[in-house]
Amino acid sequence: MSAPKGGLVIFTANSNPSSRELARRIAERLGVELGKVQVYQEANRETRVQIEESVRGKDVFIIQTVSKDVNTTIMELLIMVYACRTSCARNIIGVIPYFPYSKQCKMRKRGSIVSKLLASMMCKAGLTHLITMDLHQKEIQGFFNIPVDNLRASPFLLQYIQEEIPDYRNAVIVAKSPASAKRAQSFAERLRLGIAVIHGEAQDAESDLVDGRHSPPTVKNIGAIHPSLEIPLLIPKEKPPITVVGDVGGRIAIIVDDIIDDVDSFLAAAETLKERGAYKIFVMATHGILSSDAPRLIEESAIDEVVVTNTIPHEIQKLQCPKIKTVDISMILSEAIRRIHNGESMSYLFRNIGMDD
Amino acid sequence: MPNIKIFSGSSHQDLSQKIADRLGLELGKVVTKKFSNQETCVEIGESVRGEDVYIVQSGCGEINDNLMELLIMINACKIASATRVTAVIPCFPYARQDKKDKSRAPISAKLVANMLSVSGADHIITMDLHASQIQGFFDIPVDNLYAEPAVLKWIKENIPEWKNCTIVSPDAGGAKRVTSIADRLNVDFALIHKERKKANEVDRMVLVGDVKDRVAILVDDMADTCGTVCHAADKLISAGATKVYAILTHGIFSGPAISRINNACFEAVVVTNTIPQEEKMKHCPKIQVIDISMILAEAIRRTHNGESVSYLFSHVPL
Repeated sequence: MSAPKGGLVIFTANSNPSSRELARRIAERLGVELGKVQVYQEANRETRVQIEESVRGKDVFIIQTVSKDVNTTIMELLIMVYACRTSCARNIIGVIPYFPYSKQCKMRKRGSIVSKLLASMMCKAGLTHLITMDLHQKEIQGFFNIPVDNLRASPFLLQYIQEEIPDYRNAVIVAKSPASAKRAQSFAERLRLGIAVIHGEAQDAESDLVDGRHSPPTVKNIGAIHPSLEIPLLIPKEKPPITVVGDVGGRIAIIVDDIIDDVDSFLAAAETLKERGAYKIFVMATHGILSSDAPRLIEESAIDEVVVTNTIPHEIQKLQCPKIKTVDISMILSEAIRRIHNGESMSYLFRNIGMDD
Repeated sequence: MPNIKIFSGSSHQDLSQKIADRLGLELGKVVTKKFSNQETCVEIGESVRGEDVYIVQSGCGEINDNLMELLIMINACKIASATRVTAVIPCFPYARQDKKDKSRAPISAKLVANMLSVSGADHIITMDLHASQIQGFFDIPVDNLYAEPAVLKWIKENIPEWKNCTIVSPDAGGAKRVTSIADRLNVDFALIHKERKKANEVDRMVLVGDVKDRVAILVDDMADTCGTVCHAADKLISAGATKVYAILTHGIFSGPAISRINNACFEAVVVTNTIPQEEKMKHCPKIQVIDISMILAEAIRRTHNGESVSYLFSHVPL
């Protein structure tokens, strides 16, 4: 006999008030109050969580948006998950619109696969399900031993393009590096537009140059039976000249990516596109981290508009730079929560999603 | 090399033999057979107690049988007191099922990773994983070797006009791989992307970049039924390419692949021997093979001796 279904509780584990806005919107859409919880830092900077209502037998949804203090954000989430688990919650679902450390998702030299470590920590803490959005690499789902729903922001961004860019049919979708080409194709296919790919000059953070490919030869072990002769191959050019594969002349250029953090590569791309004849430049990204000096740099750049979703709070950045626009994605997150709580299928939320998205 | 044993599964004995020869070792004695009910039975024919064991088995052919055979061999060595068991899997099985690309889809590559860990593998050596994030599916070390240095060497030695070539990705997903090779050769790159003009219209392949009067080299990590790569070749010829080569790490070549290659306009289709190609080469003279046994052998030697493996990412052993 299955246990009777408990209620639904929505918490936010953010101690930072500006990070609670998304949780408030989601709760409002679902017609529920945010659960009573206190999350704060003690004098010694340790995180303290006090859940002030019963969670026994309930579906607990913990909404955690990533603030500037990312490691504190993670600890807040883990401590709250563990608190709910030890308080007999029926299910503990993490709603983490932007999954932190998602760029560190593969081996680089002798580094750590941090997103795998984080996934293991979340599972160990007691998470039973994860809802996230536009993971940097979809393979991160496989780092978890629990179900992961990787929602997509692209329908909202596509809608923005169609409604807010009047002459979007004269646009070309641009990947600012070859790594983003798949996403660009996905957008281009649904808007029925062409694509262009930028390559060269600014070294991509995703570059494999930081992998072990350029380690010096090690000293051979004397004990080796067949010490192999090594022939060095052509080392890549220091800075390949910047190239744009595809035509952007006389067009609107829409640069698409999943994350906009340090804006240097976007600014370099915008400059290149302007030189190649693009007359307007938009940047569309799901996660607007916009760290350090990003708002000022965008304001002074050739970029006409930066469109991001509210997976990460960026109200301060918007005050500094009116070019930054926000698309609200609380609707899809609240619908995902409702469906999971009611045991309904999630596939409806993926109905307009392409394989490459 | 003391305290090292290399065993071969039945998927690719030729590659295992080449690896053993390069290391100056004999392949370990192992008998793999099937019972009448089709269950796999493995008997390790020599002591592995205290040994550093390497089991070579590729994910090809009868893929589930070969996977089970590998798991059973790993487990047999582990419970026979091997100090360390390393699975050398040149072509990782189920690598394309690495994410939930639609509702209720399994992440089978993660399942395979769990199976290998549960069976007792301490270390994995593989080549050109479909997505390098698969390394994160394991809680044990994974060395994902690259065929790229061997590919660059082949291009320079076998394509006289390589300085006047364009490296082409047959889809947007391979753009990063292609630009890496293009940069190292100091040449241009292009990519082909699918464009749907109307909702009910068939995908149209659009070439982004210039190949006119150049040699076009299509590069991808694997080719299965070869539909995409053959369409891409036609597109490149119609765009003015003088010759078209395809270079692929894993030549699976299932279903209509061989007849498609024979009918396509390739100068050559070049694959590595992570998967056995002898039978396919008999039916298709366009297929050429790059031997990567020396890369795997050197990775085994370095792992056994506790040396760094990262040097192999940009150099190819002779």
